[in-house]
Amino acid sequence: MANVQPAVISAGFCEHASKRSDVNMAELVNEAVEDCLNKAGSVEWKDIDYVINGNMPAFEGANMPELWMTDHMAAKNKPLLRVTTGGTTGGSVFVSGYYAVASGLYDMVLAVAFEQQSCGNTTVGLASVALGELSIYPSLGYEATRLRRNMGAGAAIGVASYQAMNYMRRSKATEEDLARVVVQNRRNAAKNWWTHLKMPTITIEDVLDTPYISYPLRFGMVCPASDGACAVLFTTEEKAKQIADVPVYINGVGSYANEPAIIGVDCGGAGQTDPCEQLGAVKSAELAYSQAGISFPNKEIDYAEVYSPFPNQELQWVERVGLFEPNSAPEAYLNGVTALNGEMPVNCSGGVNSTNAIGASAMERPAESALQIMGKAGNQVPKTVHTALGHGWGGAINLISHVVMADEPQRKFK
Amino acid sequence: MDKVAIVGFYQVKPGLDLMMSPYEMLFEATRGALDHAGLKRDDLSTVIGCNNDYYDGKTISNCFKVEAGGAYMKDESKVEMDGAHAVMYGLMRILSGNHKLAMVYGISAPSCFPYESVRILETDPTFDRPINLLNGYTAGGMQMRAYLNAFGLSEEDIAKVAVYNLKNAAKNPLAIPEAQKTNITVDEVLNSEMLSAPLKKLMYPILCDGVTALILAPERQARKITDKPVWITGVGHFNDTYYLGDRDLSSCSSMEKAAEKAYKIAGINNPKSEINVAELFGHTACEDLILAEAAGLADKGKGLSLIDTGKLNPSGGTMAGYTPAANGLTRIVEAVKQIRGEAEGHQISGANKAIASGQVGFCAQNNIVYVLEGGE
Amino acid sequence: MTLNIDEEQDVSVTKGMIRAEFNFWVGIVMDKFYDGLQEKKFIGTKCSKCGKVFLPPRNRCGDCFAKAEDFIDLPETGILKNFTVTTYKISERKTRNVKKDQIVGLVQIDGADSAMVVPVININPEDLKIGMKLKVVWAKNIKGDPNDIAGFEPIGGV
Repeated sequence: MANVQPAVISAGFCEHASKRSDVNMAELVNEAVEDCLNKAGSVEWKDIDYVINGNMPAFEGANMPELWMTDHMAAKNKPLLRVTTGGTTGGSVFVSGYYAVASGLYDMVLAVAFEQQSCGNTTVGLASVALGELSIYPSLGYEATRLRRNMGAGAAIGVASYQAMNYMRRSKATEEDLARVVVQNRRNAAKNWWTHLKMPTITIEDVLDTPYISYPLRFGMVCPASDGACAVLFTTEEKAKQIADVPVYINGVGSYANEPAIIGVDCGGAGQTDPCEQLGAVKSAELAYSQAGISFPNKEIDYAEVYSPFPNQELQWVERVGLFEPNSAPEAYLNGVTALNGEMPVNCSGGVNSTNAIGASAMERPAESALQIMGKAGNQVPKTVHTALGHGWGGAINLISHVVMADEPQRKFK
Repeated sequence: MDKVAIVGFYQVKPGLDLMMSPYEMLFEATRGALDHAGLKRDDLSTVIGCNNDYYDGKTISNCFKVEAGGAYMKDESKVEMDGAHAVMYGLMRILSGNHKLAMVYGISAPSCFPYESVRILETDPTFDRPINLLNGYTAGGMQMRAYLNAFGLSEEDIAKVAVYNLKNAAKNPLAIPEAQKTNITVDEVLNSEMLSAPLKKLMYPILCDGVTALILAPERQARKITDKPVWITGVGHFNDTYYLGDRDLSSCSSMEKAAEKAYKIAGINNPKSEINVAELFGHTACEDLILAEAAGLADKGKGLSLIDTGKLNPSGGTMAGYTPAANGLTRIVEAVKQIRGEAEGHQISGANKAIASGQVGFCAQNNIVYVLEGGE
Repeated sequence: MTLNIDEEQDVSVTKGMIRAEFNFWVGIVMDKFYDGLQEKKFIGTKCSKCGKVFLPPRNRCGDCFAKAEDFIDLPETGILKNFTVTTYKISERKTRNVKKDQIVGLVQIDGADSAMVVPVININPEDLKIGMKLKVVWAKNIKGDPNDIAGFEPIGGV
């Protein structure tokens, strides 16, 4: 089998905002592609030999928009693949960029993920994740009256609040702990050029002053809906050494699928019972670490970007991916371990909590991690980053993407 | 390219309305493919699905297909194009060395959604979509006119292709009954309803529900799993611009490039003589010819001669029943059956080298071609 | 999906669609194009490298991947590059035959290198010829949207 070591040589973004009304989808994507190519040294658009694109399909109401956006992604007369997996889309596109190079078939791969949420109607899109599935309940012997109770669990906030309750029960985390995560993220975002919610002076009190959306999550804790795009350029180890000052090698990838979490009341035997357990994330991380030769992620990883639209998820994910002991994340955040100058900085880009262009978010995580290794991040950590991870989740919190990158290649044993 | 084989496959018998939930259909296919290869679900390491959120009427349509698709606690992903594109991703995963067994499935149920209407959502939302004139019918009509004009052909010539396809479908047990027409005549096709001039109803495929699944494995594993591995020896994938006005609709440049690349990898110098079978995903009877010519099986404008040789779409092709998101995968499986000598009723004797293609977009914007070979 | 929950608590699901409205930002160059329509004028863009002219405008040239943000005024006349005639409604919930000819043309405006998919009007389908000269017919009420183009008709009748 092909023994190719994929590497990231460039990552580009467009400016994110709640309404990028100045551009259409294609032009939005084009901004990120241009930014990525501008930062890729000698690489020209003609050198690209594979293009991968993805976004959340139903949100803008455009089916396979990459076909129309071909000319704007430098994809004319090149192969173009579309990969979409819900919230994980960006991560899945990133992972497919890795595989396009690792397969030995292509050696300069452009991966693009985007979302223009101010187009279309996100809530309609999300409602169909929850409501479309109601048709299977009768076949499970489900009582019709209970269906109404399940509807309340629709969309992302419903899923997240159950998850938050479970996490808080396990870890004894308080609402203040959740607010602390938000403050760290939004202050970080203020120092990163492309982010959406920049709040340099936000405090825990400010967050706790906002009303509840769905207990225990308050308005101030919830991610914004953003317009934005991200583009990443992948190539082989040999080419990366010639092109990039600091090539970032992708040493492990995992994208396990769990059963979907249809949360709420008992639902006929299907679905995860505890949505904060996250076996898929644990196994994805294990797979990626084993590929990368990492035995002690909490010691060997220098930087992490996890996908957390809601603050409880950030606490939960950093534990599930092995950076902290179970239930110890709130204390680590309290002690500043995860801050910009901490031992294990997390989401210094501002995270999904500050910027959520859904399709792009899960790609922005590994992209920002790669930039931290290169030393070119918008909000660069002071310490040297050798190994970093980028994580994403999507679907009914059952799809995971997990990427481990480093400044040294890990020779794979085939 | 290292050798990768198709070691198992299954096609759910398609129908206009299968009256099955997508999960039942999918489970039948994935279970069937595993049984066909003599494997257990535990043996799989990765699953690549192909379905479309608009066709499924459901956002993140792969997230509830995890269990039925065999993907629970597997490295899973989804390609939202044609099933043949999903095979490309599965192939990449195998070639990387990270995975030893990949399940690829494609699923859609057009009985549950208005396919032609949904296609307007594929158009440029800043102009073509509000203008509201493009769908499979009108794009197919313009493409057919461009082809006929470019080579001085007549509607009758395309009707002959449709007759050929529908008669082939009659020999294919997995074609839908509505497409199996043993006694169809050219006149019947020409007198069928006009969809979008000059495209007639019987030159256009019938949409049906269906699922196709196949299993990929690298050489070493493939030889242990099956006595009849069918190797993917070449693959080419290209995309053209979206804008119909920028393209020459009488030919298909993305297919030309894709085939050229696939032949180069497979070491094929003379596709006309070397390829025994071509299962191509043409969206209309006319597009079958355009794609076959672009794939170098016939000179430009001379694609019609292929129907005499019988090597173009022996299964009936897309005209045997069109399942969006699974059709390219079905083409691959049909080609595999030919090479294994298992194409009941429509076997081409001595088939050993085949090509199969998949596509998305208006007038075959994005094409992917596989070269498949049997033997050692 | 429509859910009907009746007295016996049986749930029946009827096939259908959730109707959802979608809005799209038209972006940098199409904004200008629609401004142009308001003045009954076609505005295209020109590739800064190869000089190709696009109508409807796009801000990138697919062949050069170069900026195409220089605007250029284009005439109201063009040629018919391709056409088809259908009696089907395009995007209704159920594809429906309405028995009324609708001519879909691929019209290349003089001076442009790309073509638009637009209606062709005031002509019998039998009289259509590829390469014939056409001229835009503006709608009665100009609003700066795609409906301002009522269609294209042959110059000087047929």
